[in-house]
Amino acid sequence: MMPVERLLIEFLLTFLSRDELNAFLRSPQNTATLVGALIAVSGALLGAFLLLRGMALTSDAISHTVLLGIVVAFLLMVHGFRVEGDTSSPWLILGASLAGVGTVALTELLYRSGLVRQDAALGLAFPLLFAIAVILVSRFVDDAHLDEDAVLVGEIGLAWANTNSHCFQNCQSVTVTEDHPAAKMTRQCVNCRELGISPRDERAEFIEVCGNCGPYSPAQAWNAGLLDSEPALVFFPKSISVTLAMTLLTLAFVLLFYKELKLSTFDPALAKALGFRPGALNYALMALVSLVAVGAFDAVGSILVIAFFIIPPAAACLLTDRLALLLLLSPLIGAAGAVFGYDLARGLLFGFLPIADGIAFVNRLFGLDLVEEWDSSISASMVLMIFLFFLLAWVFSPRYGLISTALRRANSRRLFDDQVVLAHIHNHQFTAQAATELRVETLHLHFRWTQRKMGRVLARLRALNYIRIVSGGAILTERGEERVHRFRATMLEAHNMPASLA
Amino acid sequence: METRSDLALSIDDLTVAYHEKPAIWDIDLDVPEGALMAIVGPNGAGKSTLIKAVLNLIPRAAGTVTFYGAPYEQARSLVGYVPQRGSVDWDFPTSALDVVTMGLYGKLGWFRRPGHAERELALAALEQVGLVDFADRQISQLSGGQQQRAFLARALAQDAQIYFMDEPFAAVDAVTENAIVDILRELNQRGKTVLVVHHDLQTVAEYFDWVTLLNVEIIASGPTAENFTLENLQQTYGGRVSYLHGGQLLAASAP
Repeated sequence: MMPVERLLIEFLLTFLSRDELNAFLRSPQNTATLVGALIAVSGALLGAFLLLRGMALTSDAISHTVLLGIVVAFLLMVHGFRVEGDTSSPWLILGASLAGVGTVALTELLYRSGLVRQDAALGLAFPLLFAIAVILVSRFVDDAHLDEDAVLVGEIGLAWANTNSHCFQNCQSVTVTEDHPAAKMTRQCVNCRELGISPRDERAEFIEVCGNCGPYSPAQAWNAGLLDSEPALVFFPKSISVTLAMTLLTLAFVLLFYKELKLSTFDPALAKALGFRPGALNYALMALVSLVAVGAFDAVGSILVIAFFIIPPAAACLLTDRLALLLLLSPLIGAAGAVFGYDLARGLLFGFLPIADGIAFVNRLFGLDLVEEWDSSISASMVLMIFLFFLLAWVFSPRYGLISTALRRANSRRLFDDQVVLAHIHNHQFTAQAATELRVETLHLHFRWTQRKMGRVLARLRALNYIRIVSGGAILTERGEERVHRFRATMLEAHNMPASLA
Repeated sequence: METRSDLALSIDDLTVAYHEKPAIWDIDLDVPEGALMAIVGPNGAGKSTLIKAVLNLIPRAAGTVTFYGAPYEQARSLVGYVPQRGSVDWDFPTSALDVVTMGLYGKLGWFRRPGHAERELALAALEQVGLVDFADRQISQLSGGQQQRAFLARALAQDAQIYFMDEPFAAVDAVTENAIVDILRELNQRGKTVLVVHHDLQTVAEYFDWVTLLNVEIIASGPTAENFTLENLQQTYGGRVSYLHGGQLLAASAP
């Protein structure tokens, strides 16, 4: 990871000065927004396929059970390999992803037994693994980065603080030994505890101990005042490299296997018959979902991450009916949610509307005493923003939104009413009963409609020049005649109409 | 076991079971090249299971299947498959043209993307089923019959030697039924072998020159004229077959 990160920084340094880059990365807002957006992009790309496969809840199960992988990998790092536990270490992320794949395998094992249904199998597998993880966390892990709070919502606001330092100039590593001028030597009693005596006791024996000996990286050395001239350092947040790597991996997977993913999602049987391997692809997809869930864990926890997977494609589905466009729109919606979500957490709706003003207005209006200051969880605000975009698509989508659907339905109801009346006139005009059947004043009685409704329909039909009123009775105009015939022709092919309209 | 390579399809001792309950039982079936064959039988007779097992979509408990003497893995490109319409989600965000193009994915193999040539082939297949005007339409906006024809076009685009169709006539309108029959006949004239799971007993003799009567086991199989008899049908459907006067089949009470 480190050499790749260095290459990336060197690339960035061709556009920015080192100070500008450091200033950018040390801003909590920039790092949180960037990390959130990257999670949203990778999550939405994979989520689109999960949604189309009817596996939205599988991502929820996976994001919960990767906690078990994270805890086990964390404990292994600390107690097995005796290194510092770090939830953004690539090894931990890879190892923990296995837990997600394990969930899917366990679910299939339960399901294949034929004794439980598929949804029940999922409901069985994931609480088990999550419960084990929670017990392990509370029992064996006492690290600030892995407490129950972090599990819930993550700490995206602190992502900027956990960095790797890269030195580019004037790089001097220092090893402080006991004879180094900066070494801080202290006396330590070696037998005080054993004998239960105070260091002042005359039996106490002392050794000289170095309090700050050891190797110092250039960054640490500069901080400790061991260097005379400042090294050229760049502090790169680990979360950015982790989320960037998983986004690139997801992007490569989706681009490379676009055709295969499409086919095996739409028609797995044909995919198999044509010699593609839908089973293997499914597991690859699940492995990536796990990887993203683990990579996102630090930032957004394991509960909220499902929102980054599912809501953006659910919104995009309402806006397009092309898969390629869906895969373009979903990440955009997710990323926009992350950007505006940060602002929302800091009290600005869409980055410019202060929420405090809104609360103050409500306070004035109702005489309430709500706290006007607004400072909330960043990850939760991002989810809220993504959901707001879904809501907008749900209501306003030109083709599938609530409003357009309601308008279309009202329109077709109106057309239907028109047709019923036109057909009635067509059937009875020029017959013996025409005078009674087609009298405008009594027409509504034949239909058992209200007079108002019939009046509306007749007025509309007259305005459209479909009917004329001749001596109190309705008859069709030429245009109306034509309309009836056209309708009959389409009625005969009613079975050819789309299933959704039939 | 002998395999004759002049047979389009040779099934030998094929058994498929779900949890030790046989769905199809010891099937032996030889289909000569160029046959247009209906597979009929009551619900739960294992018609779809037979097709899926032949195409290796579900595990076989026993038996061998060869296409022109070769196992399925080597004969993939010779085989076209039209699954039941209800087996996929028609709300999937894609167009009719795209669905048809999927039939060409097998020839493309991994990673290669469909290009201009594939687009032309897919459009030609849509033309054949009379859907070329609907090429860009979202598939949920197609009627049931049009969806079925899109599936058929997809199989046509595969340009296979032997086709398996799972209930292509289920719940389609008259226009689509005629279109499908025309295509079946055309495939037949071009020497293709076609096996169709079929429900409507009244049209078997009219549409198909070969028939297989299946009820877990094979009751009869061969030219329609000799095998599509009342006796065989009663054995297949368990006596629940009634005739119209004039000797015409009405329907089986279990469709």
